[in-house]
Amino acid sequence: MGRLLEVEDLRTHFFTRAGVVRAVDGVDFSVEKGKTLGIVGESGCGKSVTALSIMRLLPTPPARIVSGSIRFDGRELTTLSERELEDVRGREVAMVFQDPMTALNPTLTIGTQIIEVLRRHLGLDDRTARRRAAELLDEVGIPRARERLDDYPHHFSGGMRQRVVIAIAIACEPRLLIADEPTTALDVTVQAQVLDLLDDLRREHEMAMILITHNMGVVAESADDVAVMYAGQIVEQAPAHELFHRPEHPYTEALLAALPDLDDSDARSRRLTAIPGRPPDLIDPPQACRFAARCPYAGCGDSCALEPPALRELRPDHRVRTAHPASEREAVTA
Amino acid sequence: MSATQIAGRVAGVDAGAPIRQSSLWQDAWRRYLRNRGAVAAGILFLLIVVWCIVAPIVSPHDPNRIEFPDAYQGPSWSHPFGTDQFGRDLFTRAALGGRISIGIGFGATLAILLIGVAYGAISGFVGGKLDNALMRFLDALYGLPYLPFAILALAIIGTVNFWTMVVALSVASWFITARVVRGQIMTLKENDYVRAAYAVGVRWYMILGRHLLPNTLGVLVITIFLELPGVILGEAFLSFLGLGINPPDASWGSMAQDGRDAYRAHPHIIIIPSLAIATLVLCANFIADGLRDALDPRTKET
Repeated sequence: MGRLLEVEDLRTHFFTRAGVVRAVDGVDFSVEKGKTLGIVGESGCGKSVTALSIMRLLPTPPARIVSGSIRFDGRELTTLSERELEDVRGREVAMVFQDPMTALNPTLTIGTQIIEVLRRHLGLDDRTARRRAAELLDEVGIPRARERLDDYPHHFSGGMRQRVVIAIAIACEPRLLIADEPTTALDVTVQAQVLDLLDDLRREHEMAMILITHNMGVVAESADDVAVMYAGQIVEQAPAHELFHRPEHPYTEALLAALPDLDDSDARSRRLTAIPGRPPDLIDPPQACRFAARCPYAGCGDSCALEPPALRELRPDHRVRTAHPASEREAVTA
Repeated sequence: MSATQIAGRVAGVDAGAPIRQSSLWQDAWRRYLRNRGAVAAGILFLLIVVWCIVAPIVSPHDPNRIEFPDAYQGPSWSHPFGTDQFGRDLFTRAALGGRISIGIGFGATLAILLIGVAYGAISGFVGGKLDNALMRFLDALYGLPYLPFAILALAIIGTVNFWTMVVALSVASWFITARVVRGQIMTLKENDYVRAAYAVGVRWYMILGRHLLPNTLGVLVITIFLELPGVILGEAFLSFLGLGINPPDASWGSMAQDGRDAYRAHPHIIIIPSLAIATLVLCANFIADGLRDALDPRTKET
């Protein structure tokens, strides 16, 4: 399996009156062909900005990709012109947005909105595009697809709308699908269905997928690899199984510890575990490790309070950005 | 956000919706019908328009023919509105004047919409420095008083007729519409579905033409009836001052001017056209009000 997307040292900053917000500050990752990369992190850690940077959909100004490279199948995306980008978006890389209630134009039938993409990229004539649109709706599991083409978004429930949004995204068989919190706005019962659908589609169409979420459960279910983001940087990246069973970064450990355990009989009466403190201000991030202030292992005079740790490969495919990975801590205490 | 929703309702129907979807338009229509003042105003407005169109055609009197023996007659069966100082039948002549006044009114409103939508859409869509420049230019124009601006425009054009009046009045009053459209486009631009359209590679002109402009339709419908009174009053004012429509052509403003000389002895000559102007303007305001309530989903069940 080759690498489809390679992001290297991506820095996307927002130039605002209050100062430069370093929303994404040195992010590296890659996505293998046909695999799913999960990106997790709390609100404001730069997950979405990373996704929008890949699509080059951020408003410029105030946002600007300051440095780094984004290579899609060997092609550099950061230097493409707007015109060239229009041909990439929707054709090669497509995106599913968070809220299906707002991601569809309320004034156009969903048929029109699917056909718009098909005609734009594949140059299909009206009748072929319409037939293809019906097939797509059918594929994403909307019953009576042909009739429903003429319905407006408000005739669909949230889950159904998200299916329509997904149909639009996969219409031109993109090789990479970026799903930005695709289930956050949906009912819990529908979330699993939508995730399953995404997973099925990915396998059938041999797409790669970037799944952005703040929900560890979602990642555990559908991601092959996981990148944990914190304050604009990736702090840990590993295959999903490895990350959940042998987390190295204190932040990842804390996130996993914060998950409520439903098997625990006292779970109802116990308070949920939280991570103390707050993420740093991204206008003026600390010189040292960005997690140091909340890290239970960062001691005084520690190197991590002075210089930022680099992302290093602890084991094959397992990279971490901390001075105190779990495995080294054990070594010390033992 | 609510403005987009209103706009959404209107435009959705416009896009040729099947019966199930027409609930959008039907909703608005039902709400409008429930507003009695607006309905009455609408009917009266239509009656005036029909009168203006039909009366000069069927009337036995030539509205421009001077008959001194008939001068200064009060209302009667043969002259329902009486006659003026030249013995012209005011019923027919007021209808003829109405054609000019309403014609200029709608003509100028349409021109205002065209200029305003183009200017506002470009400004709001492109944004950034261009938007800033265009808006500051608008601020400068905004400071100019409406009527002197129109008079100046007429003076620059040099001739006064129906079309130059349309141009002068629209040039002097498109600013508000431009601003409203710009604001609409800017809010609409932030919508997720616009970003989603970009995300699948839709070209900018398709986004503007298909995802943004149709959604401003609701606001534009209201704007028509908000701009109309101002333009009609402006025309009347200019014609009253003698700067507008010239004799023997009639507009309500120039007819009021005709009646000014004898307003003590024969007040009906000035009252008839003034009443016509006032009624039409009042109707337009009521209609605009009714439309705004009808097209705003927040006023649902009141």
